Amino acid sequence: MEVTISIPTALRPQVDNKDTVKVTGSSVREALGALTAQYPELGKRLYAGENELNRFINVYVNDEDIRFMDNLDTALKEGDEVSIIPAIAGG
Amino acid sequence: MTTIQTTELDRYHRQMLLPGIGEEGQRKLMNAKVFVCGCGALGTVIANMLARAGVGHLVIADRDFIEMTNLQRQILFDESDVENALPKAEAARRKIAQINSQVKVTTFIDDVNHTNVEKMAADCDIILDGLDNFETRFLLNDVAVKHRIPYVYGGSVGTTGMTYAILPHSHPDDANETPWELAGAATPCLRCIFEQAPPPGMNPTCDTAGVLGPVVSIVANYQCVEAIKILTGNYSAVRPTLLSFDVWENTIRQLKVARAYDVGNCLCCKQRQFEFLEGKFASGTTTLCGRNAVQLTQKLAEGRKLDFDEIAQRLAAHGQVKANKFMLRADITDNGNAYELTLFTDGRAIVKGTKEANVAKSIYAKYVGA
Repeated sequence: MEVTISIPTALRPQVDNKDTVKVTGSSVREALGALTAQYPELGKRLYAGENELNRFINVYVNDEDIRFMDNLDTALKEGDEVSIIPAIAGG
Repeated sequence: MTTIQTTELDRYHRQMLLPGIGEEGQRKLMNAKVFVCGCGALGTVIANMLARAGVGHLVIADRDFIEMTNLQRQILFDESDVENALPKAEAARRKIAQINSQVKVTTFIDDVNHTNVEKMAADCDIILDGLDNFETRFLLNDVAVKHRIPYVYGGSVGTTGMTYAILPHSHPDDANETPWELAGAATPCLRCIFEQAPPPGMNPTCDTAGVLGPVVSIVANYQCVEAIKILTGNYSAVRPTLLSFDVWENTIRQLKVARAYDVGNCLCCKQRQFEFLEGKFASGTTTLCGRNAVQLTQKLAEGRKLDFDEIAQRLAAHGQVKANKFMLRADITDNGNAYELTLFTDGRAIVKGTKEANVAKSIYAKYVGA
């Protein structure tokens, strides 16, 4: 199923400056896997290890934090919106 | 509690008309003590708005002096403050005295760190964050949770903003519940949501990526709205979500975070480990004798290294950058002063061109981030 991944400004240089990327996947793991296969440089920023996201990167599905659902195994349905949201430090 | 004369209330007439505030709410604001931590873009808007709203006592802490490039967004300052080389906290105190002489202002012209933050926040009813780095934000979060003080986070860079109000949960050993817990309005803490600070160099800063003036004002005003709700006891009106927006792309998200406390096992508010307050991640500073330089020992999370490629790209716009696998060296001109910034992969840095620890920390926060 096709889902849309929103890319934060800070990570857009790694995805040809796109603000969203459409990918296919039935879980967050598959969707992010498809995204990082297409843009390997992004993967270096997102993942701390093979199966672990960096702890300063938050991923939301339809505005719900995946850490409090099934993490990378959170199921996706057609049209879901996956958002990568880093903390904003400036001010 | 200070006795407030009826005539002192007159100027707040329009605010007191609001059903959520009224005279009772106004008196609460006038008896409140608020810690504004950081007095830059966010902090000046916060201090300005809360002084006008009649908050009785503002405690303002900031380590920096005013620069011409601040004036685009730091609304309490003007060109004469730059000419007079005033510290931000002092310039803010002078402006607030002109805006509302009823407001008491206490200033700390100092770096906020684990050795002094509890003194600054003592007896405060709320903490508002006007900071530019996550190390100090997690420090404020530790103080907020440990002492059960509400804390409103705000952050802004580029055209994006983010804000969130923390109404801390009590520890089971605490003798009583807080008013916000009695109202069913307690929220997860900042570390429930962001487990770890982005490593230095990983995220853009306002000094490398720029920042749109209005977006910072919007974030700070959202922070003030939540502060006024909290100080007037309107706990159930406090926004329970993490607000994230981009004013250029016209996107607004309200991220649902309530489950972070219930499901998570946060080091800070669940396990009561106040790592930042204990100085575990504190960045130390050493003035390097005879070298007009300061060394900063910024502690990175275990196993992490600075990403030199990323930082080099970012700093290239500011001057010459050289990097190898051991170190990165950049020439930076900031407010007319030349600095040489040397970074090591473990996060250590040497800022040449100053003997002042605060100046070095400021250069690091601006151009590398934290």
